[in-house]
Amino acid sequence: MRQGSIIRLSGGLALSLTLSAGFATGATGATGAVGSNRFPTTVHAANGVVRIATRPTRILSLSASATQMLYAVGAGRQVVGVDKYSTYPKNAPRTGFTGYESNAEDYLRLRPDLVVFAYDTNHLVEQLAKLSIPAIVLPPATSLASVRSQFVELGQATGHLAAAKSAYTSMVRKIASAVARAKASGRNKTYYIEFDPTFYTATSNTFVGTLFSRFGMKNVADSAAKAASGYPQLSAEYLVKANPQYVYLADTVCCGQSAHTFMSRPGLSVLRAVRQHHVFRINDSVASEWGPHSIVQMVRDIASSLESRRRTGASH
Amino acid sequence: MARRSIGPATSLRRSQRPTASAPLRLFATEAVEADEIVPTKLRVSQLAVAVVFLAVAMAVALMLGPVDLSPRTVLAVLVSHLPFIGYHPRMLTIDGAIVWQLRLPRVVLGALVGSMLASAGAAYQGVFQNSLADPYLLGVASGAGLGATVAVVEMPRLASLSFDPIPLAAFVGAIAAVGATFALGRSAGGRNTSSLVLSGVAVGAFFTAIQTFLLQRDTPVLGQVYSWILGGLATAGWGEVRLILPYVAVASVALVSARRLLDTLSIGDEEAKSIGVRADRVRLFIVAAATLGTAAAVSVSGLVGFVGIIVPHTIRLTVGPSYRRILPLSVLFGAGFLVLADLAARTVLQPGEVPLGVVTAFLGAPFFLIVLRQSRRAL
Repeated sequence: MRQGSIIRLSGGLALSLTLSAGFATGATGATGAVGSNRFPTTVHAANGVVRIATRPTRILSLSASATQMLYAVGAGRQVVGVDKYSTYPKNAPRTGFTGYESNAEDYLRLRPDLVVFAYDTNHLVEQLAKLSIPAIVLPPATSLASVRSQFVELGQATGHLAAAKSAYTSMVRKIASAVARAKASGRNKTYYIEFDPTFYTATSNTFVGTLFSRFGMKNVADSAAKAASGYPQLSAEYLVKANPQYVYLADTVCCGQSAHTFMSRPGLSVLRAVRQHHVFRINDSVASEWGPHSIVQMVRDIASSLESRRRTGASH
Repeated sequence: MARRSIGPATSLRRSQRPTASAPLRLFATEAVEADEIVPTKLRVSQLAVAVVFLAVAMAVALMLGPVDLSPRTVLAVLVSHLPFIGYHPRMLTIDGAIVWQLRLPRVVLGALVGSMLASAGAAYQGVFQNSLADPYLLGVASGAGLGATVAVVEMPRLASLSFDPIPLAAFVGAIAAVGATFALGRSAGGRNTSSLVLSGVAVGAFFTAIQTFLLQRDTPVLGQVYSWILGGLATAGWGEVRLILPYVAVASVALVSARRLLDTLSIGDEEAKSIGVRADRVRLFIVAAATLGTAAAVSVSGLVGFVGIIVPHTIRLTVGPSYRRILPLSVLFGAGFLVLADLAARTVLQPGEVPLGVVTAFLGAPFFLIVLRQSRRAL
């Protein structure tokens, strides 16, 4: 049974390889002007040097952030499946996969010719390699520079290198314009961003933290972060004493939190952020993703939260 | 102290004929014999030590925390909440919230949970005649764990509720698991305690299997469920205190008043019957009280382990095997112990938290081994 399916698969693979090779040649000829790179190509990803023989036409993305990047670089039409946490774009072919499967065989029904992961917890990359399916790992970005290199890796792997570079530039431009809008209001304002109701947070050394820093905002967790992780847990006491001016809740979906539940928690009603109605909702997944859509959304949300203060100030 | 040299069995036979107290009559089949000597009565000095220990633990826990507050500030906040004083300084808003809304309820809740787990542990050890029994023996932990997991997994759909569904779900799960254990134990082995314990193991495994399956299907909630399982009082407030106070109060009073009955059980079912005590009814009553209280405690604290073993055993080693001493002292020392463990939990890695279950297990595991060695020696 198993043997049969492998034989069928390799037959299918051979067919898709021939097809994609033809398509790639055609594409290179037609779109050479926009600078699509040639195949075979080698990509330097987090899981080492990955050789991709032909331009992939059946991409499986098991990372919500990678899905956003794939669509941003124009590789959307090559995507045949995305994991269940990929919520953007809405029309992406969602599957029930999580990226934490234990057996790479599960993915074979989609006949992928490139698989993209955010984490490789169960040695799936190695399993796929045995089946001659290239896979690249794009781990959580720690800075815009690492977002840029992931764009380049994906662009190269999918045959959209030039588009990847311009997608990155366009993202950076959108970020800059949102920051310019609200930077004056954000300067030196203290904030706290929450990932769950037990006060797990992120310092300004994390990627999400650097987005706040662009507005000149100060993270109340910074002085608490002895742990190297950048995602420390605070105590309620510490948070009350730090008394942030802004609170961002990234646990509204996972943990049912809201400005109301936040201020109803013991001791938190005295916070400046609560008294000045500066408790904002940040989509849980947006705050933990580094795809272009999420980053721009996040930066715009921060800008709007700061502007809402300015409007309130003006009306008084 | 000198009495410790007498072997436990001898001391029990000689001294622990129960008196004709009200709870005893409830379980009596016939008139109870008149009182005999009571040399294992709780001494005032022992009670005083326990009360002082609890008071000092609570005072220290109120003074210390991730935020440095002077004892003077803490006292000022406490005084400002006393009725009829009229002392409300404005500068205390932040410090006041820290002391009154965060530290004090946490200390009180730690005391309630600790006293409940320790006294329930002592009661279970008495009922099952097994020094390794703890309050989670009959499935409370796996039931509460499953309940909490379901609540966390379903949280996106439960967010509109006006209350936190996790404690309720944990409580219901715990009661359901112990209910199932009793139903199965009865049908399997009548009134035999070992069949009850075995069905507790089976129910525990079954509930844990469902919990593991749910977690495996929904990996993003793993962290949240895991931190609940490890236990802690990090988000505790007066709401949680109000939630469990009635259960813990009723259960503790019931257990403490059943202390003589527990001594009676230790002389054996037949002997108990000969002095007019229905052992099976006593067991049911004590286990029901201990379970109800434990379920309430873990619903707000998560699965804090080892307290139910460390505390009663330390007391047993110090004051002897009589439950007339062990139970009241477990209530007080258990409260004090958990208050101190929670103080460690919130200060060791400040401003982060060490899960409370990690602190108690870190202390409890080595202790557990000592107890094991001791009990082997006694054999």
